[in-house]
Formats: sequence, structure tokens, C-alpha cells
Amino acid sequence: MDSRLLLSFAVCTLLVFCISCGPHLPPDVAEAYKNLPEEIDINFHVRPILSDRCFSCHGPDEKTREEDLRLDTKEDLYGLKKGDRRHPIIPGDVENSPVIWRILQEDPDNIMPPPDSKLSLTAEEKAILVKWVEQGAEWKPHWSFIPPQKAHLPKVQQQEWVHNPVDQYILARLEREGLSPSPEADKRTLIRRLSFDLRGLPPSPEEVEAFVQNPDPGAYENIVNQFLASSAYGERWCWEWLDIARYSDTNGFQGDPTRSMWPWRDWVIQAINDNMAYDRFTVLQLAGDLLPDASVDDILPTGFNRNHMYNGEGGRIPEETRVDNVFDRVETLGTVWLGLTVGCSRCHDHKFDPISQKEYYQFFDYFNQTSEEGIGYHGRVAPILDLSDSIQQAELAALQTWVDEKAQALSAHETHLFPHKEGESPADSPNANELSGDDLYALRIPPDRRNPYFLRLLREAHEDKDPVYVQKLNELSQAITKRDNEASQHIQVMVMDNIEEERPSFILTKGSYNQPETQVHRNVPEVLPPLPEGIDNNRLALAMWLVDREHPLTARVTVNRFWQSIFGTGLVKTSDDFGIQGQKPSHPQLLDWLAVEFMENGWDVKALHKQIVMSATYRQSSILRPGLREKDPDNRLLARAPRHRLPSWMIRDQALAISGLLVDSIGGPSVKPYQPPGIWEEATFGFKTYEQDHGSNLYRKTLYTFWRRIVGPTMLFDNAARQTCSVTPSRTNTPLHALTTLNDITYVEAARVLAERIMKAKVEDPERLSLAFHLATSRFPKTEEMNIMTQSLEKLRLAYQQTSAAEELLAVGEMPRDMNLNAGEHAAFTGVCSMILNLDETITKQ
Amino acid sequence: MNPFLEHSANLTRRQFFHKSAVGIGTAALASLLTPSVFAASPSGRGLPELPHFAPKAKRVIYLFQNGAPTHVDLFDYKPKLAEWHGRQIPEELISGKRFSTMTGGQAEMPLLQEITQFKQRGQSGAWVSDYLPHIADIADDLCFIKSMYTEAVNHSPAITFLLTGSEMPGRPSMGSWLNYGLGSDSEDLPAFVVMTSRDKEASCGQIFYDYYWTSGFLPSKHQGVKFRGNGEPVLYLSNPDGMDRNVRRGILDDLEKLNALNMEEYGDPEIATRIAQYEMAYQMQMSVPELTDFSDEPQHILDMYGPDVHRQGSYAYNCLMARRLAERGVKFVQLMHAGWDQHKNLTYQLKTQCLDTDAPSAALVKDLKQRGLLDDTLVIWGGEFGRTPFLQGKISDYKQWGRDHHPYGYTIWMAGGGIKPGISYGATDEFGFNAQENKVHVHDFQATIMHLLGIEHERFVFKHQGRRYRLTDVHGSVVKGVLG
Repeated sequence: MDSRLLLSFAVCTLLVFCISCGPHLPPDVAEAYKNLPEEIDINFHVRPILSDRCFSCHGPDEKTREEDLRLDTKEDLYGLKKGDRRHPIIPGDVENSPVIWRILQEDPDNIMPPPDSKLSLTAEEKAILVKWVEQGAEWKPHWSFIPPQKAHLPKVQQQEWVHNPVDQYILARLEREGLSPSPEADKRTLIRRLSFDLRGLPPSPEEVEAFVQNPDPGAYENIVNQFLASSAYGERWCWEWLDIARYSDTNGFQGDPTRSMWPWRDWVIQAINDNMAYDRFTVLQLAGDLLPDASVDDILPTGFNRNHMYNGEGGRIPEETRVDNVFDRVETLGTVWLGLTVGCSRCHDHKFDPISQKEYYQFFDYFNQTSEEGIGYHGRVAPILDLSDSIQQAELAALQTWVDEKAQALSAHETHLFPHKEGESPADSPNANELSGDDLYALRIPPDRRNPYFLRLLREAHEDKDPVYVQKLNELSQAITKRDNEASQHIQVMVMDNIEEERPSFILTKGSYNQPETQVHRNVPEVLPPLPEGIDNNRLALAMWLVDREHPLTARVTVNRFWQSIFGTGLVKTSDDFGIQGQKPSHPQLLDWLAVEFMENGWDVKALHKQIVMSATYRQSSILRPGLREKDPDNRLLARAPRHRLPSWMIRDQALAISGLLVDSIGGPSVKPYQPPGIWEEATFGFKTYEQDHGSNLYRKTLYTFWRRIVGPTMLFDNAARQTCSVTPSRTNTPLHALTTLNDITYVEAARVLAERIMKAKVEDPERLSLAFHLATSRFPKTEEMNIMTQSLEKLRLAYQQTSAAEELLAVGEMPRDMNLNAGEHAAFTGVCSMILNLDETITKQ
Repeated sequence: MNPFLEHSANLTRRQFFHKSAVGIGTAALASLLTPSVFAASPSGRGLPELPHFAPKAKRVIYLFQNGAPTHVDLFDYKPKLAEWHGRQIPEELISGKRFSTMTGGQAEMPLLQEITQFKQRGQSGAWVSDYLPHIADIADDLCFIKSMYTEAVNHSPAITFLLTGSEMPGRPSMGSWLNYGLGSDSEDLPAFVVMTSRDKEASCGQIFYDYYWTSGFLPSKHQGVKFRGNGEPVLYLSNPDGMDRNVRRGILDDLEKLNALNMEEYGDPEIATRIAQYEMAYQMQMSVPELTDFSDEPQHILDMYGPDVHRQGSYAYNCLMARRLAERGVKFVQLMHAGWDQHKNLTYQLKTQCLDTDAPSAALVKDLKQRGLLDDTLVIWGGEFGRTPFLQGKISDYKQWGRDHHPYGYTIWMAGGGIKPGISYGATDEFGFNAQENKVHVHDFQATIMHLLGIEHERFVFKHQGRRYRLTDVHGSVVKGVLG
């Protein structure tokens, strides 16, 4: 401490010296200064630097703070608090602001950040801080914590290009950067793009041609309306919600038991198709069970917060599982609605964002009140909603009574075997000293709540010693198995509830379930708007608070996510982080305009989607004009439409659709299409066997594919793992993806059935090839393309003259083939169709 | 460089010749046709700033012993355990320490002497148990770290911690970091390959979670590619029935022509990447069957790995595969073998476990050595923690003897790739309980691996959600004492 004080003294002395020699900047900083924007803004220029380079030692986290100095609040930065003798920044006074002195130092002992932190500032960053102080160092809260407002529409030169306000903002920025927008894409590209974005499927050739030939200027809008109204819209947008909601058909972890959450999934599809307002969509899923007189329809949506993984491993401490699940709910809420990485505060105060550990556990308290216990071992952990009929429910109730009886009998016997004091457990009995470890743990759990694993442990411990006890354990075990077998036939959806007697919540040291510190009570973080006075402060209040008109984050985070789905990148690139370390929006005013408009329209999602796809920005061509890539390599400015490979689920759905295989029914239990043998067995040591479906279940949309959490569907790539909430897409290209779309039975069968389709529809080769190409790309092949396909077909004809190979190829997949078609011909066309299904253009939204 | 050419530089030789038809000038081609271009695969060259300095190792084979081998029965000889056999462990060693729920409530914790026979081996005099005769034979090639320690007390968090630097799943694993940073040396195989196996009895039910080889927040192309233990080693590798490789080649050639036409119109370098991606898929189809065909291995080599070498999915098979992958330039081979979790079956299962793994592990080191590959291949053998020097179970019940999870001190060994051979580094206390001398934390171990590959671990960071992440979190220092 002493040496630090000395150092401070030395700093002061040096400062005096510096002032006397007047302001001067090192040459590199002076040079960088010249190229800075005219106005330096704390949100866009300054805070990113402070946060990234300074906050880890001088930020919100008290435990890692050095020198008791913080630079993340206004009071601390200027030294405004009573008794503050330090003023790190003195507005307007570059010479006397210690922060500036520090960053301009050359002496490694004095310079900040210290060299060994590897966080050194660049000349430009130093210049920014200097200029900001010089301009008066104006303070504003972090941008995303200020409620959004519609700014006036910026002036643009090319006003005729503008279709709606979206374009006004995009164009203003382009003009400022000296760029011009791209021309509108041709109509075929346009309807194809639109169809993927709104329906997740390619347009049919009929739809394409009708649109192309329709000269009506309103034709595009008609198509937009038609797609928004189609039921495929709900399925397309449901996918992303399932990634967000970490939806899966199993629990995850060892054993990975099956659950039946699909009625919740079907509810989501329906809600989206009904264009349920997003605020209601939010409230129902977070707190539908707490609405007055909640009906089944209100409770079902709360399955959202039971979609997390669930660790029911034998020997696992139940409370640890329960607490993990509450963490998951808090962090999912943080990502989906707040766009904040609150998870960091589970173990310590956030390093960058003003969410303290205490505030994290205040959120935790909201979700800590459900009756879910960590002791469950199957996919129907209470609270559940049983959607089976009344006869089934009565049967289950009878079995439950049987379980209760056996549990009581066992309990009586245990009291006899392990005499104990009132209020204590048999495990506290001196007679239980023989038992150890997990066995003792098992005895401590009341018999009616022991899972089969714990019953087995006790049975093994007493096998040769106490036949009566063993028999009673067996009887309970049998009753439980019977009951579970019955229950597994029911459609039981895990949902949320609140227990009557509140569970106290504590700050947990390092996030450890068994290290409670101080007790905390439900509340929202200080940096965000407060809850209204006098309300019943529960989960429902929290949900209502999220969708309040004054909430600065929810609408912004939501519109940004939709923007990301359509354009490939959000206006805020870090769609999961709107915090201080997140990226700044590329078009802040547009983001705010969209957010306010969204709320003013009553959180109308279809209206928002329409607004986006009606814009001239959306309708641009994606052709990369010369020079554009150099100026804007990531296309953040949108001087052209983006061009991206389709997500793998859309690629599969497309293959099914254009071959005509797609069975387009909505909802129902998940299905098991083709999967290479042995996948589940290898991942589960042979405990799970994949029993592939047959018939129409092979051809359902990928949305309905059964998702085993520990080993997801193999035909998907770059998809969220569905283990925790995920809102950021992954787009990579590896040879493994190519192998999937070349060799997976689904794709080979689709090629075969597509071949059959074109062979029956047309007679001549060029017509057939043209049709296949059109189905896959929504356009007719050019001469050169037709030549290549024709040559390809000829080569394949030669290869498949040998009919045994042809027969083998045509035997792939379970859909019977038309035996009237010549096998060699059919195989040759199958080869060409496989190629067409793998065209870059086919699997790309362009 | 022109961005188009930059992307083209990712293409293989084959593409370049094709490309000349669609518009790259021959001059430009000539400037790109350097051997280094072909060494780089489309799945990615590494970061330009890496390696930070000349690496000692070019690749890693990690023989991960899943379930935690018992250090006090295999490598860490402690005569004191025999002396104290059956007596309660000194209280000061266990007070305040966490164990699993399985012994956490156990009233007695008697010390248990080694169930094997120890001998000193080779010139170096390293102690190795008679359960591992083949590893004992190569002791002079190995560096034993006998003072490893870790933080987690359960398998999955501890394995995740070792492989990703965090107990919670989701951060990139070591192989992904290295693939991301250093790129690939193979044109037709992934840079990061994972293989799993387990003991024949499947005595433990531990699952190989895919987050043991996840790319976390790094681009997903860096995630480990799991070579399967049955059926096709790589998913969807084989062409469909009735389509031979010539037919496939023809289709891919035409596909490429069509894609190239579209590239002319859209100018999108992603299309060039797509072309390369399909070409590499084809190359993999060619190379993987050759890779897994052991018929070119002489009998004495096969014998060295043992009879299981012919059984796909066995540890022995995977060890030989690891050598074949290393020869072909694969950067990180992560081989995971389960079955070391002897809670109640130490007295008979350990023997089987050693039989399954001893000869193949040693054979791999010898095989690499005789091919001159050991010099720049780092081989690591070890688990996620050790096992308790005290007994799990009852001392009277010999058949059920076991040892519980033990993170406070354990042994691993390394060989090759810049490691000093024939030494034992560090030590535990007289009971084999706490790492005591030259302690090596998991983050130190990770920092050392990075160092051997020419990476300064503190400078190899990836920014995600506003934070700079690295494999070693904010800790770790290179263990200089094990460097050759």
C-alpha cells in the first residue's frame, strides 16, 4: 500500500511538471487524432475502449478491482461522490485528467493499461480518449439501457430508391460512406429468397412463373401477404424459437430419458401462425400459469422454461440439479429478452456490465419458486400438464395410490429398522451406521420420492441380510415401474408452477448450490427501469416488466434477432450481447426505429417481417459489384443483399419438397427419419437403439425430427446443439457437410424421386433437365448450364448401362419406385438430380 | 491480395487447373502455385501470428484415460501405504476436502496398499507397476508428471476442465484451439480427430459427451471429427450403393463447372469455398478407406499393438489409427478410453483394463519412434484425476475394494515432441495424497502443451461475448522442468 501511495504522490508531482510544459501528444497519437470523427461519443467511441481495456481491473467487479478505482460509473469517472479526492477524468481538461496522463505515459511502470495485461491502447484509441475529454467528456448511460426513440428520418439524395423508413436509414449511411445500393434482384431470385425467409421452403415453379409474368406493381406485396398467411410461416419461424428454447425430445445426460414436450412445440407453431403479439407470446411462456384463472392454454406455453436439460443421473445430488435448472432459466431470460450475458454474474459481479452477483440471484429468486425437484429421473418431472384423456388419468391415479401405499409400508418398516427421533430421518439412526456413501444418502430421501437408483442401492446393501426389507423395497420399486410405464404412455408436458410456501433464495458463492451466502429477494437490476409500485412481485410481474413500453432492451433485442434471421447478421452483430462489451449497432437509429415501431404496432411480428421484406434494402440483388468487398467486406452496410448457405434443416426440407416427397402435415409427436445405424448405441453404450420410422414419417419437415439431446440428428450441421439457449447462427463449410448432402439416404432418395418426377412430367431430356433445375433454383438453365447437364446425363447413361448398379442405386430409400421406368435411365437422371440438389445455388439463399 | 485470389489460394491444385477455364490469368496462377499453398487445406490455414516461436511438436496424440487411472497402483509407489494398510488416513489430509458422494459419507477411510507390484524400470529407474509391462519397457522414453492436480471431483466436469479449461461445457476444446490457431497440415483429413473406446465389460456407464471435442465459440469447422467405432468411420463417407467412385467423380466435376459459372455471375468467394469443400469431401472419400486399411502394416507391427488391433472401436485399433493419422498430418488426435473408474472392482477390473491398454499405448510410442515421428509428435497418456489412496468399501470385503475420485494429486506421462525423456517430474506426499513437489495444475499442463506447439498461451486469445478467452483461462505457466 505504501509504495502505491508513494507512486500516487510521484504521479501528482509529475502532473504538475507536465502542465508546466503544456499539452503535447506523442507523434503517433497526434497523427491518429487528425483522422477522428468530429464528435466523439461516449457510447460509440469511448466506452468500448474503457470497457475492453480498463474494466477488468477498474470496473463493476468489486473482487478484482485495483486501487479501489472504477471507471464505469459517472460518479466514479468524474469523482463526484462526497469526499472524492480523485477525479480520473476532468471534463475539458486534458492536461489534468489522470486517465489521460496515464495512457500517454511511456514509462512502463506508469503507463495504463500495464504492458503485462496485454491490453495496451492503440494510438487511435488514445487519441479518442484525449479528444473526448477535450470536448467536455459528456456522460451518457450505455446506449442499450436508454429506452429507444424514433429519431427523425435522415435526409437522403436518392429518395426515389426508398420504399419505407428502413431504406431511409440504410441509404443515409450508404451515401455517407460514398456507396450506392444495388439494383433490385430479378423476380425469380426475389420470390425464392422471400419464400425461404417466410416459409422455409422454395417456391413452386407455378408460383415463380405466375409472379414473373404478373406485371402488376402490387404483385410482390401480394406474394408477401400470401406467404405470411401460409401455415409454413409458423413452422419456419418455430425452428429458431426451438433453438432459443433449447427444445429437445430428451433430458440429456446419462440415460437421456425421453420427454413429450412436443405439444408445447405445436403451441409455438400455432401462436406464430396466429400472429400472437410478441408481448403476449412472452408473458404466456414465462408466466402463463400465474395468470388469473389460468387455463390449460395458458399453462402449456410455460413449458418454455422446462425445455432445459435435466440431469437425473443416479448418485447426482438432487439439489444441484434443481439449482442448475434455475440458473438455466435465468440465463435464458438474459439472452432472449435482455440480450445480456448475465451468466457471468452467477459466480462474481459482472466484469463489464452493471449486473451484480446480487442482482443475478434476485432474478434467480423469481424462478426458484417452482415445485420442480432435482430428484426426477425420467422425462416427466413434475410439475406436469397431463394432456391424456380422463380414463388414462384415472388409471394413473390408481397406480399412484398403489405407489403411495407401498411407500408407506416401506416407511413404516424403515422406522422399525432404523429407529430415530421425531423430526429426524432413518438415516440419522444409530442402526444406519452400517451404511455409507450413497446408500446412506438414499435412506435419507423419503421413500415416496426415491428414484429406482436409490431403491436399488438400498436393496443391494441389504440383499443377504434382511429379506423382508428387501421385499418391501422390491414392491415399491415394482409399483413405481408400473406407474412410470403407464405415465410414459401419457402425453405429459413439463410446465411451470409456483409453490405455496416460498423457497428462500441466496447468493451462492461461486455459483455452488451448497454455499449460500446472503439471502436475496426478487427484483430487477438497478440499471434497468424499476418494477411498478405495489404489484405482486412474481414471475408474472417480471414478464410484464420485460414487455413494458419503457423497457429499453426487449424490443431492440427482438427486432435485432429477426433482422439477423433475414439478413444473416443482426444490426447488432452480437445478438446475444447488448451489454457494454457487445458490438455497437451498425445502424443505431434504424434499430431504435424498428423497436419503437414494433411496440407501437402492438408487438406485431408479421407486420415487422413485412416491413423488412417490403424494403428496397431487402429486395436488392446480392451480386457482388466490383469494389464492394474491399469497402465493406462483411456487408454490414447492406449495399447489396446478403448471400448465405441455407441452414441445414432448410436444405433437407427443400430436397423433400422439390422431389415431391414432403409430407406436409403440422405438429404431432416427433418422428425418426433415416439415420446411419449405431449412432445412438455408440453414444449410450448400447442402452438406446434408434428405431427408424417408416412411411410418411420419413418425409416430414425436419422441425419434427426426434432430437436426442446427447447425440442430435446426424443429418444436421451448423445447428444449435439444443443444450443451452442459442441465438447466434453458425455458418461454416466443411467436407462433412458435402458428404451429408451427397450421401445421406434422404438426399439420394430425394434425387431418385425427383428424377422420377421429371421423367414422368416431361419427355425430352432438355425439358426434363430444365424442370429439375427450375425446381431447385427457380430459374431455367442457361445454354452453357444445359450443355453441362446434358453431357453429365450422357456420361451417366453410359455408366448405368450395367443394370445391376442402376438397380442398386434405385433401391436407396423406402419410397417404392415406378418399375415401368427404365432402370438405367432412371439411375442416370438420379445422378444428375443429385448434382442439382448439391448446386451451390440450390443450397444458397441469394 | 485481391480477395478473389485470396480465397482461391485455399483451393487445391486440381481446382487451379479448372479455374483457368473460368478466368484466372495464368500469371496469377503461377504466383499462387507454391507448395505452401497446397499444404493449406480449405478448412483453414491458421492464424498469421502463429506459431509465436518455433514449435517442438507439430501434432498431438492424447491418449485420454477416461474414468481416472489409479496413480497409487500404477505409477506412484508409496511404501507408506503398505505400512499403514487398513489404518485410518491421517485426519489432516482429508479435513475440508471434497470427495464424491460415494465416499463423502463413509465413516472410515482406511488406507489401502497398492494391489500391484512395483519395480524400478530402465536407466531412469522410474517406478511402474507390473500391471503395465509394456509401458514399463519404454520408461526411458517417457516423462512422468507425478504431481498433477485438478479442481473437479466428478468425471464430466474434470474431463471438460482438462480439455477445455473450464468445468462447464461449452468452451472450445484443446484440439479446436490448435486447429483454429495452427490450421491443418492435411489436405484430405480433418485436423482434429476423435476416437473413443471402452473396456469390454463396459464396467462404467460414462458417456463420451460431444462437448469433449466441441469448438465452443470458435467457428464450428474446428470441432473434432469423431471417427466412429463401428460401421463407416466417418458419417456419410461412402457413396450410395450403385454409385462407384468414377460416377461420383464425374458428377462432382460437372457440379464444379456449374458452380464456377455461378461464381462468374455472383463474384461471391463463398462459391469458391463451396467448390473446394466438395473437392475435399471427395479426397476424404479416397483417403479414409486407405487410412483404415491395415493390410499394408507388417505383421510384427500389428503384433505389437496386440490382438485387439483388428477390432474396430477397440483401444488397440484406435492407437494404430492414431499413428496412421499422425503420419498423414492430422494435428490433434484425441483418443478416449473409458473403464478406469474402479470404485468397487479394483481387485479384478484394473488388471483387465491394463491388459487392454498397456501394449497398444507402448506400441504407439515405439512405432512413432522407429519412424522418426516421435520427435515432433507429442504423446500424452493420462486421466482427469487420480484415485484415493484410501479405500472405498470395507477392508474385509476384498472383492469389492475400490478407490474413489481423487483430484489432489495424480500421475500422467508424456513422450516425444520436445519433452525430456526418462524423467519423473514432481511428487506427491508420502501417502500419494497431495501433489507436493513441483505441483502441476491443469492450466500449467495446458500451457506446456501450447508451448511445445510454439504457442505462448497468454497471447492466444479469442474474444467472445465481450471477454477474451483462452484455453488456460487466466492462469497457467509453462512447466519448464519437463521440456527437453
